[in-house]
Amino acid sequence: MAKRPTEIMKGTLDLLVLKTLALEPRHGVGIADRIEQTTRGTFQVSPGSLFPVLHRLEQEGFIAGEWSVTPEGRRARYYRMTAAGQRQLTAEKKHWARIALAIGQILAE
Amino acid sequence: MGILARLAGLRNTLFRKTALDRELDDEIGAAEKILVDRHLAGGMSPQAARRAAAAALGGPGGILRVKEDVREGRIGASLDSLLLDLRYAWRALWTTPGLTAVMIVTLALGIGANAAIFSVVRAMLLEPLPYRDADRLVFVWLNQAGIGYPRGPLSGPDLRNLREGSTTCAEFGAIWATGTVALSGQGDPEQLRSAFVTSNFFQVLGAESALGRTFRSEDSAPGAPPTILLGWDLFERRFGADPSIVGRQILVNDQLTTVVGVMPRTFRLLLPPDSSVPDRLQVWQPFWSDLERGPRGNLFLRVIGRMRPGVTAAQAGADVDAIANRITRELGTTRAFTTVGLQADDVRDIRGPLLALFVGVGILLLIACVNVASLLVARAASRARETALRLALGASRGRLLRQSLVEGLVLTLLGAAAGVLTGYVGLRALLALAPESLSRIGTSRIDLTVFAFTLVISIVWGVLFSLAPATELFRTGANASLQPRSRSIATPVRYRTRATLVVVQIALSVVLLIGAGLLVRAFAEVQRVDIGFRTDRHLTFRVALPESRYGSTEAILAASGELRRRLASLPGVTAAGAISHLPYDDLPNWGLTYALEGTPRPPADGGAAKADTRAITTGLLETLGVQLVEGRFFTDDESPKNPVVIVDEMLARRLWPGRSALGQRFLLGQASPDRRVSVVGIVRHLRLRSLVEDLTPQIFIPYRIWQRSPMAYVVRADRDPAALGADVRAAVAAFDPRLPIYDVRPMETYVESARSIRRFTTLLAAAFAACALALTCIGVYGVLAYAVAVRRHEFGVRRALGADTAQVMRDVLSEGARFAVAGSVAGLAGAAIAARLLQSQLYAVHPRDPMTYGVSLALILCGAALACWIPAHRATAISPMDALRTE
Repeated sequence: MAKRPTEIMKGTLDLLVLKTLALEPRHGVGIADRIEQTTRGTFQVSPGSLFPVLHRLEQEGFIAGEWSVTPEGRRARYYRMTAAGQRQLTAEKKHWARIALAIGQILAE
Repeated sequence: MGILARLAGLRNTLFRKTALDRELDDEIGAAEKILVDRHLAGGMSPQAARRAAAAALGGPGGILRVKEDVREGRIGASLDSLLLDLRYAWRALWTTPGLTAVMIVTLALGIGANAAIFSVVRAMLLEPLPYRDADRLVFVWLNQAGIGYPRGPLSGPDLRNLREGSTTCAEFGAIWATGTVALSGQGDPEQLRSAFVTSNFFQVLGAESALGRTFRSEDSAPGAPPTILLGWDLFERRFGADPSIVGRQILVNDQLTTVVGVMPRTFRLLLPPDSSVPDRLQVWQPFWSDLERGPRGNLFLRVIGRMRPGVTAAQAGADVDAIANRITRELGTTRAFTTVGLQADDVRDIRGPLLALFVGVGILLLIACVNVASLLVARAASRARETALRLALGASRGRLLRQSLVEGLVLTLLGAAAGVLTGYVGLRALLALAPESLSRIGTSRIDLTVFAFTLVISIVWGVLFSLAPATELFRTGANASLQPRSRSIATPVRYRTRATLVVVQIALSVVLLIGAGLLVRAFAEVQRVDIGFRTDRHLTFRVALPESRYGSTEAILAASGELRRRLASLPGVTAAGAISHLPYDDLPNWGLTYALEGTPRPPADGGAAKADTRAITTGLLETLGVQLVEGRFFTDDESPKNPVVIVDEMLARRLWPGRSALGQRFLLGQASPDRRVSVVGIVRHLRLRSLVEDLTPQIFIPYRIWQRSPMAYVVRADRDPAALGADVRAAVAAFDPRLPIYDVRPMETYVESARSIRRFTTLLAAAFAACALALTCIGVYGVLAYAVAVRRHEFGVRRALGADTAQVMRDVLSEGARFAVAGSVAGLAGAAIAARLLQSQLYAVHPRDPMTYGVSLALILCGAALACWIPAHRATAISPMDALRTE
């Protein structure tokens, strides 16, 4: 069976974005690229669908956006992780681990 | 997230919206460029690169969606979109200014009329009388329905029985408005409207004095020095509002009388209108000490009672009835009392008309709202394609419904604001038109309660009629309406809502028109009533000839005759006379018993047949143009030695049926010895007390035999009587400068006062009906104009296929005729039921009066025809080419 992109589970996009930004600040297209690379194409995120998530996270204070210039010389809005975002990422990770464990247990039966 | 951060977010959403949106556009634009760069580097053509970048961002519509998603994720986004809805609604209202103006005026009319009438209803019916615990006050009537007096006064002994026997009422008080007393001493002499009251009257009523005190029991004790209580107006005008008047003595009827107190400026004596107690009394005096011992047949006391706490009016009624039964059983004099709550009895006459008017304005509001709903539906239909487009672009139905509600509410609130304004102006006009006898109406005002009432009805209606176009919304499919031809397919369905609304509207208008029509007819009948005497060019005034000044009866008679001759010789005066009681006056009437000689002596309890009795001078009946049926009028030669009377046809028929009454003798009154009088003249029955009821027979006694004071003089002029006032005053002053002359006014004002409440309610009802008719015509026009617009294409095709203008016209008119007929039939049925509520107001008119029904129907049909004709005419102007062009 051909490997095809999987739809991202609701609510997990936040976690993926936060995790991506934990390493270094990125702009929207960069975040989409990174998620696709890391999951080796399992998750394909269109840059369009990222904007609502980014703006919500920024509004909640987990990430902060500022204008900067890409290595190619283009202007772009870079997002970086805040301290609150770090705490949120830890919480979300724990939460995710619990879900993964639970699902794993169901599947193992 | 902290509350501060939330507030900051909310502030940004609401007030930094443009900046945020611009930044978002910027960001998405930048992302697009990065993507384009990448595709170019991958070897794509510039065009393909741009297309691919856009696709990654979701495509052209997708970018809009992305932006919308970002916006909706913001804090306070729903509030923001509500503001957006408001702005949209505001703009939508102003894109069709004519339509909006019609809707707001319609609402202002409906809401304003309701606000005005509600404030009147509240002041007259809902607010308690301005006395302490007014709901505990009752009024006691003597019920002599058998002889035509169901609501009469009581006697002194009756009052004693009530006071001694009642368990439900703590106290009873009584009042008797006698007429006037003479005030002399410093300044010009004048006559004051006065009443006798029991010493506890004001305590029973629950009213306090402003200065000094009201009466105490010692004021009515045997041998008590005379005392008097002043009204505020007199205190201000005559005594310069000097508080030291309290405790001083003034000359009343040439007797030194101590002023005990002054009643407040706002004090009104609000007793039932038919109790013969005017509410503008100037002074009060305490009754004599042996009031309760007077003869039982002397009926003159208007009695109020104050119920003990927790007692209902029904219990008090049963208690008073038991007392009446005891009097009947133990004393052998038949007594029946009617006990009613004072508040309810005060508004007995106006309650029905007022409630009918309230229902009337309710219907008017309903019509107004139906109109607005119908216009909104039309607009929603004309926006069907826009709605379909928005649905297709992903707007939720809930969102569209909310917008429709917001629009409706904006409209109603605008209407309500205009309505409160209209109501204020309307109430002003209403108060200016209100008859004097409705004195309580003066307390009506538009205040917070009325405002709240208006707001509530507006919001309720606002929600209801925003839902009407919403039904349209749910019928609109996202696909169907985008197709250009779909409108003619969808038409029959969505047309039905509006057609139903219009039929309802016509039916309601028919009900209002018929109700108002019946009132107008009844009023016309009342105007046409032949009262038996003329009032058109007659001026009246009162003057008292006190015996204390003229010394003897002979001197008074001479003075009266001289005064009358002087009046009659004034330039412009054609006749003059005087009468003891003017018609339709609010002073007590004078009733005497009558009986044939040889019949058993009439019982002394006042239960015998009574006639309305008035003393008149020579020339009075001639001055009034009364028609003599038989015999003669009085002359200056009448003398107590040969007592004569003039009777009306009613009395003549009762005592001497089938025979001539001329020269007959009968017994008048109960004073002993029996007064035997002979009839020298018979006149037509005069309507002296009520325009619409023939109550009692009438007897006129010559002033030369029976002197009353004061007398009301009547002069007939050959020009406008009001212009005669100064001449008359001068003539009286020249005759005797010390004689107080008062109540100078055209006789017509008395007759007018008897008609005034009816005129008032009729005028209001007619105004409401006219508004209803106008609104309904607008409604019919709106619906048909819309129908024609929707069927424009169809009409064009039919013209192209050879239909002539007459056929097209007939088609549209028959559509309108269907509404009109359906609405009229429903309206007729409704009116037949509603007219029963008006029964008490319909003098000489049947509640199913065919003429009124016919005229009302004709009016509504003419209105509807006119409203149909304009769109029908427009339909005929559609040419085949029009239809093709709109494709």
